[in-house]
Amino acid sequence: MTGFGARTDYARVLPALIASTAKNTMTLVPPIAALALLALPALVWSQATPSGDPVAGQRKTQMCGGCHGIDGWRTAYPEVYGVPKIGGQHPAYIVKALQAYKSGERNHPSMRAIAASLSDQDMADLAAYYGGTESKTARK
Amino acid sequence: MTGPLRYLLVAVLFGAVAAAGAADMKAGEAKAKEVCQACHGLDGNSPTADYPKLGGQRLDYLAKALRDYKSGARKNAIMAGFAGTLSPQDIVNLAAYYAAQPPVLVVPH
Repeated sequence: MTGFGARTDYARVLPALIASTAKNTMTLVPPIAALALLALPALVWSQATPSGDPVAGQRKTQMCGGCHGIDGWRTAYPEVYGVPKIGGQHPAYIVKALQAYKSGERNHPSMRAIAASLSDQDMADLAAYYGGTESKTARK
Repeated sequence: MTGPLRYLLVAVLFGAVAAAGAADMKAGEAKAKEVCQACHGLDGNSPTADYPKLGGQRLDYLAKALRDYKSGARKNAIMAGFAGTLSPQDIVNLAAYYAAQPPVLVVPH
C-alpha cells in the first residue's frame, strides 16, 4: 500500500487503520487530541458569549418586572424619567447594557445593584427573553 | 369609502395631529435624518444589534440618554460625538420624534 497522497487511498487505508487501532487503542490518542484541539476555540467562544435561553430568562425576571413590566412606570431616584421599554430590543444590546451597569460604566443605582448579581448566563437568558417579546412591527 | 379617499382622510387627520406639535416633530425628523438615521433607522427600528431600537421608546428616557451622552455621564465614543452637537432643543425634538414612531419596543407583561 503506497501513495497516501492519492484521494482513493483513504478508502482502502481506513479499514486497515480501524482494525489496527482496535488492536492498539493507544493509536486513538493522537486523533482524539487533535479533535480536542480543534474543538477548543469553539469551547472558549461558547463560554465567552453564552447563548440565551428565553424560557430560563422568563424565570429570572423577578428583579426586572417591577419596573420594566409596568406601563408608564417612572424611576424615582436619582432622577425621574420613564423606565425604558426593553421588550423587542436587540438581545445583544440588552447584554451590553447589563454589562455596562455591572462594570459601573453606566451608573443607575438600582440597575447597578441588579446587574451586579447577574452572571453572563443570566444576562444572555434575560436578553433572549426580552428580545423575543417584540411587537409585530419590529424587524428582528 | 373608496381607497384613495380613505388615504386622503388619513393624511388630513395625520396632518391635523402633526400640526399640534408641528415645529418640534418636524425639526426632530430633520435632525434624525441628519444625525441618527444611519445607525438607528429613521423609524427607530434599528436593523443592527450594535445599535438599540428606539421606535416607541419612552420620550424622557431618550432625552435623558442624549443629555447623559452629551454631558459624558454616559460614555460611548460614537454617541458622545453625535450628542455633543445637539442643542437642548434638538434633544427634546429628537426624543419626541423617536418616541412617536411605530412602537417596535414594548413593555413585556
